[in-house]
Amino acid sequence: MLDAGRHPKINLLSYCEVEEVSGEVGAFQVKVRKKARYVNEDLCTGCGACVEKCPTTVKDTYNEGLGERTAIYKYFPQGIPSTHCIDAENCRQLGQGKKCGICAKVCQANAIDFEQQDQMLDLEVGAVVLATGYDVFDPSVIPEYAYDRIDNVVTAMEFERLLSASGPTHGHLDRPSELALRAEVAVLEKDLNKVSRQIDRLEEKHGKKTAEFLKEFEAGKAGEDEDFERWATLAEKQTAAEKVLAPLKKREAAAQTAKNLAFIQCVGSRDFRFNRFCSSYCCMHSVKEAMIAHEHDNQTTSSIFCMDLRAVGRGFEEYKLRGGKSSNIKYVRGRVAEITEDEAHNPIVWYESTTSRQVDHETFDLVILATACVPSAGTPKLADLMGVELDQNGFFKTDPFAPLDTTRPGIFVCGCAQGPMDIPESVAQASSAAARAAEVVATVPKAAAGGGE
Amino acid sequence: MAEDLRIGVFVCDCGSNIAGYLDCPDIAEYAKTLPHVVYVKENLYTCSEAGINEIKAAIKEENLNRVVVASCTPRTHEPLFRESCAEAGLNPYLFEMVNIRDQCSWVHMQEQEKGNLKAKDLIRMGVAKAALLEPQEPIQSEMDPKALVIGGGISGMTAALGLANRGFQVFLVEKAPELGGLLRHLHKVGPSYVNADDLVASQATKVEKHENINLLTSTTVKAMEGYIGHYKVTVSSNGVEQQFGVGVIVVATGAKVLKPEGFYGYDGKRVITQFELEELFRTESFKAEHVVMIQCVGARDEERKYCSRICCMTAIKNSIAIKEQNPEATVHILYRDIQAYGVENEALLQRSKQMGVRYIKYDQQRPPEVQENIVKVYHHLLGRDLELPQDLVVLSTPLIAGEDNQSLSKLLRVTLDANKFFLEAHVKLKPLDFATDGIYLCGNAHYPASVREAISQALGAASRASIPLAKGVMTVQPIVSVLANEDACRGCGLCVALCPYGALEIVRTDKGRKVRVISVACKGCGVCAATCYQHALDINSFTDQQVEEQIKAFLSG
Amino acid sequence: MVIGGGIAGIQSSLDLAEMGIQVHLVEKLPCIGGKMAQLDKTFPTNDCAI
Repeated sequence: MLDAGRHPKINLLSYCEVEEVSGEVGAFQVKVRKKARYVNEDLCTGCGACVEKCPTTVKDTYNEGLGERTAIYKYFPQGIPSTHCIDAENCRQLGQGKKCGICAKVCQANAIDFEQQDQMLDLEVGAVVLATGYDVFDPSVIPEYAYDRIDNVVTAMEFERLLSASGPTHGHLDRPSELALRAEVAVLEKDLNKVSRQIDRLEEKHGKKTAEFLKEFEAGKAGEDEDFERWATLAEKQTAAEKVLAPLKKREAAAQTAKNLAFIQCVGSRDFRFNRFCSSYCCMHSVKEAMIAHEHDNQTTSSIFCMDLRAVGRGFEEYKLRGGKSSNIKYVRGRVAEITEDEAHNPIVWYESTTSRQVDHETFDLVILATACVPSAGTPKLADLMGVELDQNGFFKTDPFAPLDTTRPGIFVCGCAQGPMDIPESVAQASSAAARAAEVVATVPKAAAGGGE
Repeated sequence: MAEDLRIGVFVCDCGSNIAGYLDCPDIAEYAKTLPHVVYVKENLYTCSEAGINEIKAAIKEENLNRVVVASCTPRTHEPLFRESCAEAGLNPYLFEMVNIRDQCSWVHMQEQEKGNLKAKDLIRMGVAKAALLEPQEPIQSEMDPKALVIGGGISGMTAALGLANRGFQVFLVEKAPELGGLLRHLHKVGPSYVNADDLVASQATKVEKHENINLLTSTTVKAMEGYIGHYKVTVSSNGVEQQFGVGVIVVATGAKVLKPEGFYGYDGKRVITQFELEELFRTESFKAEHVVMIQCVGARDEERKYCSRICCMTAIKNSIAIKEQNPEATVHILYRDIQAYGVENEALLQRSKQMGVRYIKYDQQRPPEVQENIVKVYHHLLGRDLELPQDLVVLSTPLIAGEDNQSLSKLLRVTLDANKFFLEAHVKLKPLDFATDGIYLCGNAHYPASVREAISQALGAASRASIPLAKGVMTVQPIVSVLANEDACRGCGLCVALCPYGALEIVRTDKGRKVRVISVACKGCGVCAATCYQHALDINSFTDQQVEEQIKAFLSG
Repeated sequence: MVIGGGIAGIQSSLDLAEMGIQVHLVEKLPCIGGKMAQLDKTFPTNDCAI
């Protein structure tokens, strides 16, 4: 990643989108919109001082919405380039017309530029490689898995962020229900503190404790003061808030990390309602996540619910067996029918076990949905721009014997933009697409004849 | 030491990977007390652009002449830090890396105090070594702009065409008299049911006609010496030997099909392999009406743990071919997991089911039994044995490594995996490269692959191989063996015999027989220096003296 | 031109650039890295993804 950011022959155009393509193989003209970052790339050092002071927080897409980031942000800590970026929509100054500009004040490099505009770039290129990847299937359309109703049902990508040391939980398997609880407690505490501070000031001003004041006030002996009505109301608020907070805090203190995990395979894949295809990598992805979770805490047990467990690469079958033997992973054959929830926010998985031939159910701490790999949202629009065809599943169309070539000469495709595949296959394809593109751009003219498809 | 040593130490938090378990501020404070250390900085991520900028700035502002980074593994990050030093004007080999993550914070998560002490030990050792580092210059060598592709199957042909189309001269060596490899024995190729013969013919014609391809059939590689940019290859065609030079090599030697002797009464007639079934199709002699296929025969068992990736697809493809020829025929596929991964394979699986092919899962502990005219199998959902009629049993057997792999791996000095397939440099990031520079791999030689995958890999390998060819000059890291003390060398040749990369040779000099290092081929593994009982050889940046100082520093803690 | 700065786009760009070809790498997000940068570790070696 860093190499790409530093290579003298690579012009890195991040935060950019292609808007127009014309011409033909060997000579395409492309218009690219360079979106305004509101931060001057040449000046920003990536120090992050602005992030520390920015008053606005929003859900963080890099952490799959499980964490928060500020309105001025860097997409992720090791991100390239390290230039920060203002999310205009959520920025007080840019999006909400309020006075703020704190980031501009703290930036020692003077890199903040609220006046920055989108820029259009014109590029001349000989060949185009589409490497636009995929999107994670949105499981909320599957009613029986209750993804949008049960907090402790997460996608594999969300789980990945929970496992990550640089993620929102620093690698502790805190359950989303607990994260929500913690957030709730934090908000309530903030309100309570505000009330308490006001009460403190009143106590100081009048030189008596609230309890004492209330006794007098209720007995009508407090006398007349403009503060007294307010004081009484505040005291009432304080008691009420403490009452609400106490059980929540008790629950928070008792919360445990997730130890008993269920992985559900083929969520949106091999399902006639959504995608008929197999997403290739999810079986291995789940085995890996279960193994890593066990590495974090060796009390962790995992059940992987699958139709077939597809472990088809070098070392994959061996990895799967190793997971079963030394990482407390149980492979359960069966398609999960429904997920419900008990009062303690534990998801309950209902399934038919094909080995015992019975409908069974089991309660877990956390359920992870191995979601399908689907074409990225911008694919149809990009296909239209590029003048290339899509296949019936919405990936870029290729031929089995010319797997990198789209339907338009000079435009190649690699990785999951072409169909679901794992990382080594994507990397191998990326090299192949480079070979095809290089044939167009850098063929020694004499040898141009003879064509490879 | 003439120059005034000014060492800078950068301690990386690696987010919480290090700082979550070790006390990084304390470690940084400690580093300040070490000899010659004039500057210490703790970074959230030293490898981030911000961290790199801090290194560069410190080199300039603090006049650092040695840099030590205590962070993660040199395997992934050393090149970056070296380059950053170079960009700031410091010789990149005046940089030393200390691994306080993989070897410290990660392994000592449970005992943080001891971990902290160990991190300090490691840094003290790194600093002691850094003090003795010397500047090095990269080694450069010209490229012979030609390529050798070994294997004339679909992978080899595609890789050769990929390189030839870029204008490079290619020698394509195939041991059989004809091009095509395994495909020559197949009927149709999935998922689009193209005739295998047509596919072979179209590629073979292009190869034969291509002016940049020198095609050598009935030819095997006999000997190989040299290194990236300068390989000297000896091949033998029907007993006639010839020699030529190439700069890079692509291994596309394919694999072979396991003959399942002893499994399920295999006899090659009533019980055959998928491969033999293809032959029946090719010769139009397939007549069976009740076919039972058994998957994972000789695969995913104790002897061969791996899944051969393509056998399920082959079975599905052939089951459809049977149904197309005779819709009345029954086909049962007995499987453990149906590996129809991806878009096309899963579509074929659905299609075969619609055509009436029946799938029954069997348990490895309770395998099917082939009996006369029936196959008995335990059906999980029904909870009882089924008796399936059969007049042909087809066994899906895995691809296994070619018998030449062992000898070829020795010739090329590249590694094989436990199953004798060729092993790539990095499973995720370098799937088509070998650890040895200048040699690449693709297709079944690497691991069983479909035709689509093989073509994709072959073009990729061609891409990788074309990089040094296009550059014209090879640049090698100078961390190599050097004959530091020529007088001490007695020319015994022990090191030459042990060098795994062919990077040493004995030459006659005025002073008698002496060893000579072929720097471009050397990987700096250190076997020679460790072996030499005269201490004549040293490894740049890992000299005996540097290592001894590290040990002393450790013991002084 | 390579569109997409995930692992495929990055590798493709690097190969092309190493061959001496000028590459424009276009990414719609503020940073390159794609999905792989979101992964913690990778199978089957449990190596770090970044």
